[in-house]
Order: sequence, then C-alpha cells, then structure tokens
Amino acid sequence: MKRTTVGVVGVGRIGRMHTENLVRAVPDAWVKAVASPRLDGAWAEALGIPVRGTDAGAVFDDPEIEAVVITAPSGMHVELIERAAAAGKHVFCEKPVAFEPERIARAQAAAASAGVKLQVGFNRRFDPSLVAAWEAVKAGAVGDVHQVRVTNRDPKAPPIAFVRRSGGLFFDFAIHDFDTVRFLSGSEIVELYAAGAVLVDPEIGRAGDVDTAVITARLASGALAVIDCSRQTNYGYDQRFEVFGSKGSVMVDNITPTTVVASSKGGIVGDKPYENFVGRYREAFVAELAAFVASVREDRPVRVGAADALAAVRAAVAAKASHETKQPVRLAELAQPVGGGARR
Amino acid sequence: MRTITAGVLGAGRIGKIHANNLMAMPGVRLKAIADPYADFKEWPGSGIATSANPGDVLNDPAIEAVVICSSTPSHADLTEAAARAGKHVFCEKPIDVAPERVRAVLETVEKCGVKFQVGFNRRFDPTFARVRRAVVDGEVGDVQLVRVTARDPAAPPIAYVKSSGGMFADMTIHDFDMARFLSGSEVEEVHAYGAVLVDPAIGEAGDIDTAVISMRLANGALAVIENSRQAVFGYDQRVEVLGSRGGIEAFNETPARTVLRSSAGVRHDNPLYFFLERYQRSFVVELEAFFASIREDREPPVGGNDGLMDLLVCLAASRSLIENRPVRVEQPASALSKNRR
Repeated sequence: MKRTTVGVVGVGRIGRMHTENLVRAVPDAWVKAVASPRLDGAWAEALGIPVRGTDAGAVFDDPEIEAVVITAPSGMHVELIERAAAAGKHVFCEKPVAFEPERIARAQAAAASAGVKLQVGFNRRFDPSLVAAWEAVKAGAVGDVHQVRVTNRDPKAPPIAFVRRSGGLFFDFAIHDFDTVRFLSGSEIVELYAAGAVLVDPEIGRAGDVDTAVITARLASGALAVIDCSRQTNYGYDQRFEVFGSKGSVMVDNITPTTVVASSKGGIVGDKPYENFVGRYREAFVAELAAFVASVREDRPVRVGAADALAAVRAAVAAKASHETKQPVRLAELAQPVGGGARR
Repeated sequence: MRTITAGVLGAGRIGKIHANNLMAMPGVRLKAIADPYADFKEWPGSGIATSANPGDVLNDPAIEAVVICSSTPSHADLTEAAARAGKHVFCEKPIDVAPERVRAVLETVEKCGVKFQVGFNRRFDPTFARVRRAVVDGEVGDVQLVRVTARDPAAPPIAYVKSSGGMFADMTIHDFDMARFLSGSEVEEVHAYGAVLVDPAIGEAGDIDTAVISMRLANGALAVIENSRQAVFGYDQRVEVLGSRGGIEAFNETPARTVLRSSAGVRHDNPLYFFLERYQRSFVVELEAFFASIREDREPPVGGNDGLMDLLVCLAASRSLIENRPVRVEQPASALSKNRR
C-alpha cells in the first residue's frame, strides 16, 4: 500500500515539530507539501518536501494530498478545517480548534458533512504512560473511579505577548487537563469550580489572565476531579496524574531526561523533569500522528476528535466563568452550540 | 531539665498512647490517670495512680500539667476545669464543635494564664515538619499552591460515622490544619465537593466519604485537599507545596524501604497502615514540645486559636457542601492577631 500523502498548513514551532515527526517517524506518511506565510524553504527542502508554498492553497488545491495537518495560529483553525473538508481532505488539527464551542461545532459539522476525519491534537492521549494508566483503569485495576487528579505546571511563565493572544490559562493550558480528566475517568465533567490567582507574574494579571489555578469538578460518573495548574515551577515541566478508586489507584509520575542520581554531602540530586512539552511528550507527538495516518489508511474513527475538543472547550468556558463569578458552574447551563456531528 | 508532673484525663485509645509516651519521656513524671470507663490493667506496678474520677487529677496540687484525651464532648469542660485549677493543658482536637464554646474556653485559658496546646499532631511529624521548614527557610519561595492528600485505609463503622460530627470535623480538620500550617496563612474562602462513593450507608447516615476541597488563603495562595474514607492500599498521607522558587513533596511512609523486583513487576511496600503507625513519632514530639513550652515559658507551637481557626474552616466547608458555593471563613480578630505572633 502506498504512503498517505500529507500536507502541513502553518509551520510555526509546533508545525515544524509535527512535520519533522511525519517525515522521520511516520513511515506510512509522505509529506508532499508545506504552506506557511513565513516558510523556511531551506528547512523544508532539507526534509525532502517537494512543494513549499506561502499560501494554504499549495496544500488544499493539490488533489494528491489526502490529509492535512493544521498547525496555523488558533484563530485560523476553523476556516482552514472548512477549506480542507471542502477539498475532501482528512484533517489533523492542533488543539483547541477554537475557543468558542459554536466554532468547534462548525468545524465538526464541516468535517462530518464532507465525510472526512477530524483528529484534534490532544497529545497526552497518546503518551505511553497515560495510555497505560487508562488501560489499567479500563481493565478495572482501580475499581470504580472516585477521584482523578491532574497536576500541570509549566517551567517558566510564557512571554506576555503570548499570554495576551493565548486565550488565557483555562483555554490555552488547562484545556489539556480537562481532556485528561475525561480521558482517564472515562466520564464527563458535569460541574466545576475554578479558583485562579496571579502569583507568578503581576504582568499576567494586568493582561487579564491568571497564572495559578485549582479546579475541582464533579463528573457524570459521580467521581470528583482536581486539576492544579501553575505557569512556573522553576524545576521543569511538572506532569503528574492519578486515578483513585474503590480498588486502588494508578499514578503517572514525571519523566526525566536521564535517571542519574548524584549523591554527595550536599544531598541526593536527580534530574529535573523535562523542560517542556516537546521533551516530555516526544513519543506522544509521534504516536498521535501515526494514529491519525492509520485512521485515514484503515478508515477507522480517530481516537480523539471534535467532540472531545468541544467538551474540553466547554469546560474551559465554564472554568473561566466560575473564576470570574466565584461560583461553581454546571456545564449544562452553558449555551449549547448548534450543529455538530458524530465523531468519525 | 526540670521535671514536670503530669496527669492524663481519658485513657481510651489515644489516652493510652499519650500515657505510655509520657512514662518514657525525660523531664516528665506521669503521676495520675483518670477515666471513668477505663480498665487500668496496663499500668500495674508503674507507680501511677489510677482513678475513675477526673477530680483526683485536677485537685492534685503536685500536678502541673494535664493531657486531656477524654471523649470530645468533655474536652471543653475539662480544659476549663484544669485551667481554673492552674494546670497547663494539652487537649486532643477538637476543643469543641461549637465556635462559641471554643471561644469561651480560650478566654478561660487566657484568664488563668496557663499554657494551652491542641493535639494537631501532624504538625510534629518529622516529614511534614520538614516541608514546613522548606517554607520557613525560603527553599520553595513564596507559597503559591498547597496540596494535601489524605485517605484513610478503611471506612469507619457506621456507629462511629454517626457520632463523628461528619467527615470534615472528624478527618478533614487535620488537613485544614495542615494547609494552614504549611502555608503559614489563614484560609479565607473554601469550596467543597463531596460524594458518597465508598459506602452508601455513610450517605444514609447523612455523611460523605469522598471530597475535594478548594481553598483561597489569606496570603493569596491556593490550596486543595483530596479526601477519601477508603484507600484500599493503606493510609495515604501526602502533601505538597509549590512556591515561587520550587516545590516540596512528602510521600507516604512505609514499614520498610524495599523494592521487590520480579517477573510480576516492581513492588513497593504499602504505606504504614493507619494513623497510629504513621504518626507514632508525632505523638511523642507534640508532647515534648508542650512540656518544653511550659519549662521555657513559651507559647505552645499549636494553640487554641489554631483549634478555633480549623473549626471555622471546617464549618465553612460544611456549609459550602450543603449550599454548593464558596463560603468565606469567619476571621475572628483575636485569632488572627494571635496567629501572627
């Protein structure tokens, strides 16, 4: 079977990483084209990508391209998904697709009516540790799930310019945590209470965002969940997870670049966790693209789609509202988006 | 070191532990134990006077300090009686379940000029004390997030649940105290989610067995508590503080530090089974600290105001659970000023 022909739209930091992963680590994919307004042609050429354009048309208008990877800025995702769907191309799109549930529903409907697949970049669902944790939960290792805990902390606060356009901590950062709570519990967030604070950098507060948050939630299964977020640990990218239930618990701890432990009079010192998501989720970023390409080739449903993006964004909307009103928010009380379609 | 003569009121489970610890404690002479219901078979030939009447301890002029570990409803009365008799008081938590009564006890104690320590033993656990030191010494910088995971190994009998005052008053109160202790800050606002997931009978008794509690602290930090009445793998007691310079985490303690590797996997020991095992050392250290504060005429490290504040947080959490909204914790001016000392 010949390789699946792929185009990449938008090659910023994440786009470059995805492209390199496709070229080097997903043997079933062939990256034919990349398009980006500020394309580094030499980089693309070195990767052996023959079509290099500054306009997305270079990807969408090529009938040979079966699947596209959209890693353009968040604000353009929905329009690009619609264009891809109209051109009959399967889509992998970076999270969160959009910050507004209605716009995600629009993208979902476009993909559904065109009969193309739409996978969303919730990379954690492909992390070997988190997959193993979920497999254990599914196999009954923890019994009935009672509590889910997600610790998500960045090593360093992002630049203020990024904070301003990021959509805020609940949308940009905790969005992964809402998805992880759903993934690890196999249940839906019904209600949540979000307490946010500005403790890392007052500039983040002046930009209208928070840098620290504790989000507690009730799930449809009856279980409770806790998410704690910080924009700054100073000790690396802190990613820990726990599912606790009637028969025990499973935990996912931080992963370190090496396992070296140096003992001296001054103490016992090991590695800090990876510095950022590129290192920590290296395998997950490859696996999510390999899974997407496999879904296209084998015509199987994607493992994480628009419905998941919608659920996570709705939780983010609720969290922002909860933080602002200082009251718990039921997700059912948020305005329901119209449209949508089943996950394919 | 000056030897202090002490008496114990209440010789139930915790009373026996305290009495035995006092017998082995340098600088302390345990003279008498009183409990109307106890059998005193444990102390034959120890030279310790045993009695069914608390008055025998309270009226003994040789006794300088009493350790109160009777049933909760008698704590307030016995504390006041002991204070009026001029004795320093160590009282098990809670002082009382009503803030007004606690305030009255605090006034009495203050008026009588005796030392008063409340049994929040976990503050004296070497592991948690180390976490606190990381905060005090600035190793983690300014506190931003505090996390407390506290899960019992098995749900208590329903009869106990019914008389416990509820999970928050019985169990979580230690975690509220831990959040205050580790952060060095008061709790301003609390939101609690609770659920009955372990045993429906606990729900029928009007209580919960699982909770996640979110708190805003006066210093701006956030805190979160996870509770369960049943962690089948053992007593799950972990804390973590994240600050502006880094974080510190305390893990469960196990009977031995071994890892067994085999084809079945890599196995670690289960945590120490329950609080008597896990906090064994803390019960000794808290009393050592109490007697040291008498000897050196210092304020005890955890006083009546802490008992009051923990109770007020507990009441706010209970109200939050019922009304499903964040509830501000009542901040009595006197308690605040005392805690800033």
